[in-house]
Amino acid sequence: MIGRIARKEMTEMFRDGRFQLASAVVVILLLASLGAGWKHYSDLKTQHETAQRAERVNWLGQERKNPHQGAHYGVYAFKPKSQLSMVDTGVDPYVGVAVYLEAHKQNEFKFRPAQDASTSIQRFGELTAAVVLQILIPLLIILLTFSAFAGEREQGTLRQVLSLGVGRGRLATGKALGVAGAMSVVLVPATLVGVGTLSLTSMTGLLAVDVSRTLLMVAAYGLYFLVFLALSLAVSAVSASSRLALVALLAFWMVNGLIATRAFSDLAGYLHPTPSEVEFDTALQRDLADTKALNAKLDVIKVGLFQKYGTSTLDELPVNFRAISLQEAEEHGYAVFEKHFGDVFDRFEGQNAVYQWGGVVSPLIAVRSISMGLAGTDFAHHRHFTVAAESYRRTIIRSMNDDILVHPTKAGEEYLAGSELWRRVPEFQYVEPDASWALSHYTTSLSLLGAWLVAAAFVLSVALRRINV
Amino acid sequence: MLEAVDLTKRYNGQVALDRLNLTIPPGEVFCLLGANGAGKTTTINLFLNFTDATAGTARINGLDVTTAPLETKRFIAYIPEQVMLYRNLTGLENLEYFSALGGHEYERSQLVALFRQVGLPPGVEDQRVGTYSKGMRQKIGIGIAIAKRARALLLDEPTSGLDPKAANEFSELLKQLSSQGVAVLMATHDLFRAKESGTRVGIMKRGRMVATMTTSEIGHADLERLYLEHMHD
Repeated sequence: MIGRIARKEMTEMFRDGRFQLASAVVVILLLASLGAGWKHYSDLKTQHETAQRAERVNWLGQERKNPHQGAHYGVYAFKPKSQLSMVDTGVDPYVGVAVYLEAHKQNEFKFRPAQDASTSIQRFGELTAAVVLQILIPLLIILLTFSAFAGEREQGTLRQVLSLGVGRGRLATGKALGVAGAMSVVLVPATLVGVGTLSLTSMTGLLAVDVSRTLLMVAAYGLYFLVFLALSLAVSAVSASSRLALVALLAFWMVNGLIATRAFSDLAGYLHPTPSEVEFDTALQRDLADTKALNAKLDVIKVGLFQKYGTSTLDELPVNFRAISLQEAEEHGYAVFEKHFGDVFDRFEGQNAVYQWGGVVSPLIAVRSISMGLAGTDFAHHRHFTVAAESYRRTIIRSMNDDILVHPTKAGEEYLAGSELWRRVPEFQYVEPDASWALSHYTTSLSLLGAWLVAAAFVLSVALRRINV
Repeated sequence: MLEAVDLTKRYNGQVALDRLNLTIPPGEVFCLLGANGAGKTTTINLFLNFTDATAGTARINGLDVTTAPLETKRFIAYIPEQVMLYRNLTGLENLEYFSALGGHEYERSQLVALFRQVGLPPGVEDQRVGTYSKGMRQKIGIGIAIAKRARALLLDEPTSGLDPKAANEFSELLKQLSSQGVAVLMATHDLFRAKESGTRVGIMKRGRMVATMTTSEIGHADLERLYLEHMHD
């Protein structure tokens, strides 16, 4: 019987011009956003791969020079784009995906600690598939569901249907399946065809999708849609008229999609303010310039070496003191960078934690956080990559300094290294963490999304009992 | 088949139905007469369990409608003043859907035969119901009841607003059903129709059943006189 109800609902919707129009708009937007996401993804991926290869060739092709100059020559590291980033670009547009690795400095990405102090990084900008999924599909669900009960009551068919001895739960389930079915019939083939065509015609070939991340993302959005479906049915069941049901649901949609996201972004920024770029730089430079401890440490090391080797000049040491001094200066820098970047990064994570609690009033906030995490475009992945890139930078510099160390020079001489040294530095390999790592940052959002589903189901069951015939 | 025992309904202290006692055996057509607000629709709503009784019991086939709300509905069919249909579906699809929800699946040929049985002209079954007249809708209502194999009908002014021919056809269909043992409870304003198709009539006033009589024992003029007497304050 439930299947029967679902089928009738679908038939009615398919014959309804409003459904045809609304779903056509959503399909077009979904395809367009996926297309744009794909283009962006494949362009960037190709560029990054090309650039990364060129970087390696340039690095290996350096002429003979002092290793420290090699360290200054530096390399670019690119954060690999995940396939799912074409669905959800997350914070990537705000934080950047490439970083220049060189001696003495941990560079920022295009990442500027709150250059935009007033807004947090989670606001939405361009049209992505994620925006379609998070904002427009719920709207479509509302438009398809608001009259499910209220409309039938106004039409007079509700009394007749209930007089037939149809259980209210079955009726609601059938209607929910009808809406879900109608939407799937439109959206699933459109998505498959869109993605399929793009992947077949593109340079990068078939998608090698991260299956677990993709399935989890599908599940997260599925749950999100279910919340809307159940709430819409509940509101439709108890509303005095379908008009009122629509108004109430649109109000919720606005709070969910526009007001709550903005409010919690601002709240997060207020509770965990980030320094402006100038403040950040000033504080960083001040700590870097404070080399008293460094100089004292170098003096101690120097005296120790003089004693050990029974000499009193640097020229007579069997090791190159310049390497030690360079490496110690780097270590001094590491500590300062770790402190300052760590502080700002912690503040962003604090913002994320606050923002996630917005899921209490807006399931969108919960699903948005999870979606970004699974797409690998959230702040946690950014930080993960930053740490990997920084660790690679330290590997380069350590290799250079170690080489200088074992090549002592007299005053006025310069040691030159060649390609065998450049080759000794391994290529940068970044391994993206797995899906469970990604989700581990979103326990709040996952719990809240689950809570929304339970609450929506409960509200629906209460509403069905109170249905006004 | 349909039974009310001291059935009472009050809305915010206002009496809508006052200790109604009524038994309608199979094959009987019981017509509820009375002004608007006399309690006719309330009675039907109570049998449908669409509203809770303040006191008393409504039973269908011996089962209390409040304790077995879904089971009791399996025995009945409800036809409102205006049978409402899904306008994006054809007549046949509507009949098929309502039959299926009533628990009976039919082949297309059987459904088409039902259309003929209730007197709908060939071809209309595949039209969207937006084009249907009220008379056609009421016939679909009967069709749904037949398809459901209902053993009792609850009719709420099913012929009001129908032209005489359509109303007559509707009454004929009712007679056919009652001759097959279906119990009918019909609320109506139409004294003539009540006398013609009813086996018994009951006059209601302010929630109370003030008189019941057997139609075969009373003439049309007498019924009208009696009715007006009761309506007179």
